[in-house]
Amino acid sequence: MLRIVDGWKSYGDLQVLKGVSFEVGEQEVKVIFGPSGSGKSTLLRCINMLDPLDKGEVHLREQNLMAPGINLNAIRARIGMVFQHFNLFAHLKAIDNVSIGLRQVKKLPKEEARAKALEMLNRVKMAEWVDHYPAQLSGGQQQRVGIARALSMEPDVILFDEPTSALDPELIGEVLQVMLDIAKSGTTMIVVTHEMGFARAVASEMLFLDNGVIVERGTPQHFFVSPKSERVKQFLKQLDILYGSHKELLKRSNEEESK
Amino acid sequence: MVETPDLPSIFFYILVNGLPLTLLLTALGLLGGFFLGLSLAIMRVYGGKDLDLVSSGYGKVLRGIPLLVLIYIFVFGIPGIFWFIDPLMRPLFGVILALALRSGAYQSQLFRGAILSVDPGQMMAARAMGMSQFQAFRHIVLPQALRLAIPSWSNEYAVVIKDSSYAYAVGIIEMLKVAFRVSANYPLLWAPTMGVVAILYFIFTYPITRIFGERQTKKLKKLGMGGG
Amino acid sequence: MFQVLPQPIEDILRVLEYWDHILAGFLTTMELYGGAIVMGFFLGLLLALLRQYGGFIISRIATGYIEFIRGTPLLAQLFFIYFLPYSMNAILEAQGLFPIPIGKWSFQTDIIILDRIITYTIFDHRMLVGLLTLALNSAAYQAEYIRGAIKSVGTGQLLAAQSLGMSRLASIRHVVLPQALRRVIPAWSNEAAYLPKYTVVVFFIGVVDLFGKAHFIVANIFRTLTTYCIIALIFLALITIISKVLDFVHKRTSIPGL
Repeated sequence: MLRIVDGWKSYGDLQVLKGVSFEVGEQEVKVIFGPSGSGKSTLLRCINMLDPLDKGEVHLREQNLMAPGINLNAIRARIGMVFQHFNLFAHLKAIDNVSIGLRQVKKLPKEEARAKALEMLNRVKMAEWVDHYPAQLSGGQQQRVGIARALSMEPDVILFDEPTSALDPELIGEVLQVMLDIAKSGTTMIVVTHEMGFARAVASEMLFLDNGVIVERGTPQHFFVSPKSERVKQFLKQLDILYGSHKELLKRSNEEESK
Repeated sequence: MVETPDLPSIFFYILVNGLPLTLLLTALGLLGGFFLGLSLAIMRVYGGKDLDLVSSGYGKVLRGIPLLVLIYIFVFGIPGIFWFIDPLMRPLFGVILALALRSGAYQSQLFRGAILSVDPGQMMAARAMGMSQFQAFRHIVLPQALRLAIPSWSNEYAVVIKDSSYAYAVGIIEMLKVAFRVSANYPLLWAPTMGVVAILYFIFTYPITRIFGERQTKKLKKLGMGGG
Repeated sequence: MFQVLPQPIEDILRVLEYWDHILAGFLTTMELYGGAIVMGFFLGLLLALLRQYGGFIISRIATGYIEFIRGTPLLAQLFFIYFLPYSMNAILEAQGLFPIPIGKWSFQTDIIILDRIITYTIFDHRMLVGLLTLALNSAAYQAEYIRGAIKSVGTGQLLAAQSLGMSRLASIRHVVLPQALRRVIPAWSNEAAYLPKYTVVVFFIGVVDLFGKAHFIVANIFRTLTTYCIIALIFLALITIISKVLDFVHKRTSIPGL
C-alpha cells in the first residue's frame, strides 16, 4: 500500500538518501534501524512530504505523492507521524492536542471531535490526563498523547521516528506497550527504533539503513540469528552493549512462545 | 549657498558639521553610563538587599521618564548645576548628563545580566584558590562578564547615538540640527534631507550592532560562554 | 495661606492649578499611545510573519524595513513624514501641477469638568503625522519581539501540525501563533510599557501633549523645574502601572507547567 521507489535526498552537499526502495503492505509493521546519521528520520519526513524527495517516487495506495499539483495537506492527513521529541502543541491540553486535527482538518463538530479524542486517549491509557498540558506530563505520557494524536486521524499508515529514544529508561515500557497494542490491532506502521525487543515482537520485516542505503533486509529472526553483512553484526553488537543482549531476548521470547 | 544643494553635498555637509558633536554626545553619554551602570550592577548583584533596592529603584525611575523631559530638567529646570561652565556650553553638558544618567540605568540592566550569566562555578573555583570575593570578581568574573555584555552593549550604543538627536531640541549643533539648517530655505529638500540624516544614523548604527551583536555572540559560543 | 508654605510645596500647588491643561495633555498622550500600540501591533505581527515565513524576497523586504527603522532616530522618522507632503508639493508646483492640499483641519471639543472648560483637540493633521510615525516605528520593534517568540516556539510544532494534514497557514494560525503570542508578552511589555515615553516627540511638530502642556505652564508661571518634575512623575506612574498590568496579564495567560 505504501511504496517508495529509488528515493534520493540531499541537504546541500550532504547526500542523505541514495536510492532507497521498499514497500509496506496492509497491516504490516516495518522496523527501520541503523546508526545515527544514516538517514532514517529523513526517510520518514520524505514519506509524509514534510520534506519531499529530490528524486524518486512515493506511492500511497497507488497514488503518486510526488505528482505535481497534489494536495500535500490531504496526503499528510492520511499519514500519521509520531516524533522523537513528541512535538505536542504546548498551548493545548492533552485532549485538544488530539482533537485539533479532527476539528481543523476533518472539520468535525466540537462534540464529536472531543468524543473521538477521548476514545483515542483511552486507547493509549491516558484517559485520566485529558485536561493536563504537555508540560505537566512525563515524557512517556506525552509520547502516548502524541500517538493518540496520530491515531485520531485514522491514517493509512503511521510513521514512528525513534519514539522512545528521548525517554528515560523507566518510561520506555509504557510507550512500547501502547505501540504493541496498536500494531496488534492491525495498524500499518513504519517504525524507526533501536528497541529490538519491540522489533522482534511485531516486525514483519526489518531494514538496516546505513549511509543512505538499505544494507540488509529480512525478518527479525534473520537479523538476530544470521545477519549477513559485517556492518550489521557490528552494529547489533554495539546495541547489545547498550541495551543488553538481543540473543537473550530472542531466547526468552522463544521459550515463552513454546510454552 | 545660492543654488539648490544636491543630496550628496548635503550628506557630506551634515557629516562634517554635525558628526563631531553627535559622536561627542554619544561617547560621553556611553562612558558616563558605563561607569554608572557597572557600579549599579555590582550593587545589585553583590550589594545586599538595601543597595539592591536603591539600584533597582534608580533603574525603574530613570527608565520611566522620557529622555526629553530629563534633558529639559537639566538644561532649563536646573541650569545652575553647571555653574562653573560657560553658559553657552551648559546645554551641551545638560544633555550629556541626561544621556549618561539614563544610559546608566539601561547599562546596569545589561551588566547585571552579564554578571549573572557567568557560571557561578567560576566564582567558586576562584574562591577555592584562595582569592577574596573582590579579587575573584575583579580577575575572574568581570573579564568574562564584560565580554558577555558586548552584544547588548553595542545595542546600547545604537540607542544612545539615536537618542543624541534629541539634543537638537536645546540648540546643540549635532547632525539633526545641521540637517535643519542646510535645508531650511528649500521646502523641496525638507523630507529628502531627513532621509539623508536617517541614512547617516543608520550607517553609524546598523553595521556596528551587526558586527558586535552577531559575530561576538558566535565567538562567545565557541568559547563556551553564554547560554544565548 | 500660601505664604506660610515652604517654597517647593507652593510651587507644586501653583503648577497643579493647571490641572485641566495637564489632564488635556494626558488625554492626548494616551490617545497617541493607544493608537500607536494597537496599529503597531498589527503591523508588527504582519512584519514578523513576513520576515519569518515570507520567502526569500518578501522576508528581505520586511527585514530591511525593520532594521532601517530600528537603526534610525525616531525624530528623523517623524520629520521625514511631517515634511513629505511639503517636499512633494515643491516638486508638483515646479512642474505646474496642482499641489496636494495640506489640510490644516482639526476636531476639537470642549469638556467641562469641575467648572473648568477644557478645549481638547481630539484629532488633527499633526496628530495624524505623530500617530503614523509612532505606529510605523513601534511596529518594527514589536515585529522583532514577535519574531523572537515565533522562533522560540520551534519548528517541531509546525512539523507536527503539518503532519496532521493542517495547511501551513492553518498551522501558523492555530498552533504557532497562539503560543508565540503568549510567549511574547514579557518581551513585548518592554515596548508596550515604554512607548508612552516616546510619544513626547510629537511636541516637535506642534502637538500639545503632556510635554507640550508643560511648556505652556512654564511659559505662564515660570516654575520650570517643578513643572518638568511633575510631568516626569506622571510618565513614571503611567509606565509603572502599565507594566504591572502586563505582568498580571502574563501570569494569567501563561501555559500551565511551562
